[in-house]
Amino acid sequence: MVRSAAIASAATGAPLEGRRVSHHEAGRRHFDTARAAAITIATLACVAVAVLLATILWLSFTDGTPGDPQLGYTLAHYQEIFFDAFTYRVLGNTLVFLVVTLIVAFALALPMAWLVERTDFPGRSVVFTLMTVALLIPGFAVALGWLFLLHPRIGLVNQALMALFGLSAAPFNIATIVGMGIIEGLSLTPITFIMTSVVLRSMDPALEEAAAMSGARPWQAVLRVTLRVLWPGLLAAAIYVSAICFAAFDVPAILGLTNRIYTFSTYVFRQLTPTEGPPEYGGVATLSMIMLAIAIGMSWAYRVVQRQAPRYAVVTGKAYRPRTFALGRAKTPAIAFVVAYFLVSQALPLMMLGWAAALPFLQTPSTEAFAQLSLGNFRSIPTELLLRSVVNTAILMVTVPTATLVASLAISWVVLRAKARGAALFDFFAFLPVTVPPIVFSVAALLLALFALRGILPIYGTIWILILVYAIARLSYGTRMTNSALIQIHRELDEAAQVSGAGTFGVIRSVLLPLLAPTVLYAWIWIALLSFRELTLPVVLSTGNNLPFSMLVWSYAQSSSYGRASAAALIMLALMTPILLLYWLVARRVGILSPR
Amino acid sequence: MIRIRDLRMSYHTAQAEQQAVKGVSLDVPEGAFYTLLGPSGCGKTTTLRCVAGLERPDEGEIAIGDQIVFSSERNIFVPPHERNIGMVFQSYAIWPHMSVFENIAFPLRYKRPKPSSSEIRERVMRALALVRLDGLQDRPAPYLSGGQQQRLAVARALVAEPRVLLLDEPLSNLDAKLRDEMRLELREVVARLKVTTLFVTHEQIEALTMSDTIAVMRDGVIVQQGAPADIYARPSQPFVADFIGRTNMIAGRVVALSGSNGARQASVETPFGTLQCRAQDGVASGDAVSVTVRPENVAVAEAGQGEANTVAGTVEATVFLGNMLDCIVAVGGERLHIQLHPSAAPACGARVSLRLPAEHCLAMRR
Repeated sequence: MVRSAAIASAATGAPLEGRRVSHHEAGRRHFDTARAAAITIATLACVAVAVLLATILWLSFTDGTPGDPQLGYTLAHYQEIFFDAFTYRVLGNTLVFLVVTLIVAFALALPMAWLVERTDFPGRSVVFTLMTVALLIPGFAVALGWLFLLHPRIGLVNQALMALFGLSAAPFNIATIVGMGIIEGLSLTPITFIMTSVVLRSMDPALEEAAAMSGARPWQAVLRVTLRVLWPGLLAAAIYVSAICFAAFDVPAILGLTNRIYTFSTYVFRQLTPTEGPPEYGGVATLSMIMLAIAIGMSWAYRVVQRQAPRYAVVTGKAYRPRTFALGRAKTPAIAFVVAYFLVSQALPLMMLGWAAALPFLQTPSTEAFAQLSLGNFRSIPTELLLRSVVNTAILMVTVPTATLVASLAISWVVLRAKARGAALFDFFAFLPVTVPPIVFSVAALLLALFALRGILPIYGTIWILILVYAIARLSYGTRMTNSALIQIHRELDEAAQVSGAGTFGVIRSVLLPLLAPTVLYAWIWIALLSFRELTLPVVLSTGNNLPFSMLVWSYAQSSSYGRASAAALIMLALMTPILLLYWLVARRVGILSPR
Repeated sequence: MIRIRDLRMSYHTAQAEQQAVKGVSLDVPEGAFYTLLGPSGCGKTTTLRCVAGLERPDEGEIAIGDQIVFSSERNIFVPPHERNIGMVFQSYAIWPHMSVFENIAFPLRYKRPKPSSSEIRERVMRALALVRLDGLQDRPAPYLSGGQQQRLAVARALVAEPRVLLLDEPLSNLDAKLRDEMRLELREVVARLKVTTLFVTHEQIEALTMSDTIAVMRDGVIVQQGAPADIYARPSQPFVADFIGRTNMIAGRVVALSGSNGARQASVETPFGTLQCRAQDGVASGDAVSVTVRPENVAVAEAGQGEANTVAGTVEATVFLGNMLDCIVAVGGERLHIQLHPSAAPACGARVSLRLPAEHCLAMRR
């Protein structure tokens, strides 16, 4: 009877009267410290992205020396750049560079991806591992090796051919736009390979089989069906690689700067560090804005094309294994092709570094040359400088991944879990850095530190500015990793912890972090490796004190001390090896390296 | 133990605002097993999640025991971890990185004041025994079968002796046979502990077999509330009749009424003649009504009997279900489902007379 009375009262909807209200209920909404901390960190990261980009936008519209109290607003920088014939020359250069790079990268990567994904090519996981390693080998080290081979003056191949055939001029010149494009193409082949192999893997072989059943010959099936179906995916990959190539700095800087052959990013760098006179910061900011606009355009095109792709809907959830093509007698040439790629694109230039490092000056192999082999170049690098740069790089490798992932976790949690207002805005700002060319980031950070933060936060010349800009540049990668990991954790796992008595902090500590740990560890090492090999960001920002190791190689190369540059690059590669090994172990455990 | 007053809650999506709960009030007495039953999207899960504190309602008031955990008027919102509740989730939400023991111990580790480790151990063991998982405490949680995970989820929800137990479709991920077993087992465990339970399901069989009280929800409101047998026998509207159990709906018009409220009789004109029915309160003469009669209440009459509520039809199809026979009989353009004992199987196409007992025919407004 009591029950039915209660039900009756419920049905009338009478308000609850006379219930005890304990003191903490009256405390209104509880202040959730963990939630507030996450929102604060996410906000700070996003604000940092916005402030960096706002700085170059602002400076591109100001005249006079920035920091001047009587700063005026002007369109003069844009006018100047748009009416400067050299701008178009650089744009033309960049376009040629891009096209050559794409041709080389796709000509090498697509056949290799096809071999690995769709044929009975042996040792697919070896190829994937080597590609990942090649992805991480610093581009400037490889470029340096090519310089030693094919430079018109010092290149050994040129010297040897000239001596052999009595030529008066060097037959090869790597220090041209086409030469730079070829080398950039070789160094972007790994990322192109990884992207296109994903596209090839996603294709339903039933489509090809259906074409065969309909009477199409194999090559007709490939042309009429395979390529058409894969087209959006391949186009998206091409745009993605173009964006990386457009922003590339290492290769065009090592090969082209001394000969005054510029692509857009090296042109921005040259304007910032002119060979004579003080830099014109407004103009640099404006160039950076133009570069940013082009990069954002590419990123937009990538998104548009990628969105088209699902229309073909070939990525079914079915667990199929694409039909593999039997290579037969073609197996040996196929293996030779892949081995030759690794030998020529990576092993050969790195071996050249070894040769150059062991000699007082670069020369073709001969008895005298072998007699001169020594460790002199290694010894001649000042120990203090070496130690300082190793320590700086070590600091960056620990702090940058940590800072990036703390910010990424905070952003992912706020976007996916906190039900906070404006979550989409966080997502947008976290996505932005991937579209920003690194040189633009470093210019922005430099201008910000020099002109806006001067008095307030004197970080210029300290390691802090590097940590800040490295971490922001990796924010997109970090959030992409943490987002996809967090999405896979069922929401009810959080909720079960909540109803079990865990507050926000408890849920994060006891449930989310342990489950995210493998992904976070993987991303941490990856970002550490990227921080290790980073050149474009410090090239603008580092001074004597905050010099990272990559800058040591760069400085020697810029001052034509090629022996010492090679020695430093080799030390760098040696230091990288154990971390690469660690990465490989973790990636295998997380299951990211396994191709299928 | 749980009191909800005029609860309202909307979801804001990019496209639109979706009102999930539009004014729900209910009382769950201490120790009762109270079920929210309804089709998907009726607001039952949202209501449960509001009680758990996993959603923040727009309006209304929720009290658990003496404590008001939510009140829009007084701006009170107690977060879930301070509500002292146990909950079993549809996915079980077993933490895969913990052992069985750690999963169950979790609520105790966050309990204030924190129990000693020996007490935690003892209580976890007791909870394991309660759900018959003894001996599995050291196993990593992902290595449990579906049924075991379900029991683990129940043990975890109950180990800290919560004031109320919330069950969000806990049986829906089990296969049919296991579900039947777990239904009984769950009911038995809950009854033994006498814990107040709020249960959400879309399965009428679960609601009917487990509940003290069922509230049928539709479009964000409770449309009928009562004991299982009451709701089954006296649905308040065609939706409820149709949702709980199978039924036949016959459209008709009231031509005559007799008796007083509570025991009114109606004569309803239908496509196959006039039926004598019980009439729902509020039905007036001339109203368009639905007459509902459950398949198991229709009997095959001896041929030629001319008594009231007997109709003639043709057997259209029979479906053998093992313990009974499902028959579809065409009667004057309508189709009636009836249930028969398998031994009495009529042939397809046979003419039969059906008797629709007046006490089992209920006329309600459409």
